[in-house]
Amino acid sequence: MAGGTLMGASLTTASARVDVAGMLWTLARTDFKTRYHGTVGGFIWALLKPALMFVVLMSVFSFIFASSPNYRLNLIVGLFLWDFFAEATKTGLTSLHAKGYLLAKTRFPSWILVVASASNALLTLAVFLATFLAYLVLAGRAPGAAAGALALFYLLMFFAITVGISLAGSVLFLRYRDLNQVWDVAIQAGFFVAPIIYPLEILPERFHFWLYLWPPTPVIQFCRAVLVDGVLPTARANLLLAGMTAVILAVGVLVFRGQVADATEKL
Amino acid sequence: MALIEARSLAKSFRIPSDRRETVREHLFNAFRPRTFERLDVLRSVTFDVQQGETLGIMGRNGSGKSTLLKILCGIYRADRGSLRVGAPITPILELGLGWNPELDGIDNILLLGTAMGLRLREAKDAVDEILAFAGLDRFANVPLKHYSSGMASRLAYSVAFKTVREVLVLDEIFAVGDAEFRERCEARYRELSAKGHTIVLVSHDPRVISTFCSRALLLDEGRVAFEGRGTDVVGEYSRRALTASAGPARA
Ligand SMILES: Nc1ncnc2c1ncn2[C@@H]1O[C@H](COP(=O)(O)OP(=O)(O)OP(=O)(O)O)[C@@H](O)[C@H]1O
Ligand SMILES: [Mg+2]
Repeated sequence: MAGGTLMGASLTTASARVDVAGMLWTLARTDFKTRYHGTVGGFIWALLKPALMFVVLMSVFSFIFASSPNYRLNLIVGLFLWDFFAEATKTGLTSLHAKGYLLAKTRFPSWILVVASASNALLTLAVFLATFLAYLVLAGRAPGAAAGALALFYLLMFFAITVGISLAGSVLFLRYRDLNQVWDVAIQAGFFVAPIIYPLEILPERFHFWLYLWPPTPVIQFCRAVLVDGVLPTARANLLLAGMTAVILAVGVLVFRGQVADATEKL
Repeated sequence: MALIEARSLAKSFRIPSDRRETVREHLFNAFRPRTFERLDVLRSVTFDVQQGETLGIMGRNGSGKSTLLKILCGIYRADRGSLRVGAPITPILELGLGWNPELDGIDNILLLGTAMGLRLREAKDAVDEILAFAGLDRFANVPLKHYSSGMASRLAYSVAFKTVREVLVLDEIFAVGDAEFRERCEARYRELSAKGHTIVLVSHDPRVISTFCSRALLLDEGRVAFEGRGTDVVGEYSRRALTASAGPARA
């Protein structure tokens, strides 16, 4: 039983229980099917986009940043992490709208739709990471246990950050129907705010703090540190990232909970 | 104690004077005052539903029947009043529209089935039965966009009938589908009622209300205007419809 007083109306209803894992899986599987028409070729196409981007950027910028060690590896790690962030938040923003047909008909915990919308981006990232790890092992640069555990931790934080942004965005999108265009602009600018094509070190030290406030920056930098450079970020740095993630996720959950009840009327 | 207790439920929608649905529209109109027209759909609705009972709801188009059902199911939120629902509800609302057109019948069944509370395992096991009930076995692998609207509704009702929890809430259920499918729905519905499920049923059809509902309400002007046995409410409903249509003619 769930009870509560909402804006003057008192409500006591038996909770609608659903098979969360089963529903997440079904949503992820059918999203994959509609996105790539159920073919492996379609999925490879999705991997090709950041890969092509890498080839183009690398051929230009690796000359400019020739002095920077590991530029290529850093670039490809940054690109794929960025691609995940951009894709997951873009689909997350429209997730409630896109699946509105389910929400208008029955009641279930609607955050499931938002979390499931990241599945395609997550799959692309997973395939990249598997390939990248295989490369590291073959090149004799396999990360150690601590580095691997930290990388996993960063990815978890990154996922939580995208979920937080998507939760808030998905309900606000129902109110502001051009929010996706605004977010597209933010994503385009954010690509250059995050040190993806340039090494952070070329910017004066005093700017670094501000750049680290843009969530993809710490995740990309820390992942590079553990996977490419073999350096472990300090405990303080890790705590700051965890704190930032907690704030973003909490704000996302609060905005979502505050808006979602009214949102179904606007679908 | 009644299974469902609704006390003075009220719901209004705010219809804005101008359309502001985008960030751009909000920014450009930030200093222009915005007025809202309030549409009081439900003013004060009070009723009980007993365990195992079938309650009918009648009322003219736009009288707020679907809105009331959505509040019962927790899809909309009431502005005022109190609502206590003592058991899980399965809503069967205007289901014809709720599909992903790109996916085939089976995937849509799994999506709607899990959303309506089946475990994925149960939904998979029920696929054949659901398709058979809908009479759509041959269309299992056809994308929903190639279904006729009647076929899509049949599929939705078949899924919903399979997922029934304790309370069933039906909106215009017997209005969709052809005579043969309607017959099958009514049979299934009688079966559920006999098993002791509690049912709340909205319909414009006098035959449905008088045969299925031991008790019924008539919604008008946002209140329960009349309450009684199914047949009595049907009588009152048609009497009001007649005076309403005769009214302007006399003037
Ligand atoms: N989400 C919404 N936003 C704004 N107005 C709404 C919304 N939903 C319903 N309404 C308004 O509430 C009123 C009642 O609608 P409702 O669908 O409950 O009527 P109904 O009794 O089910 O009618 P019908 O017999 O045609 O099915 C209508 O005037 C409708 O315009
Ligand atoms: Mg209606």
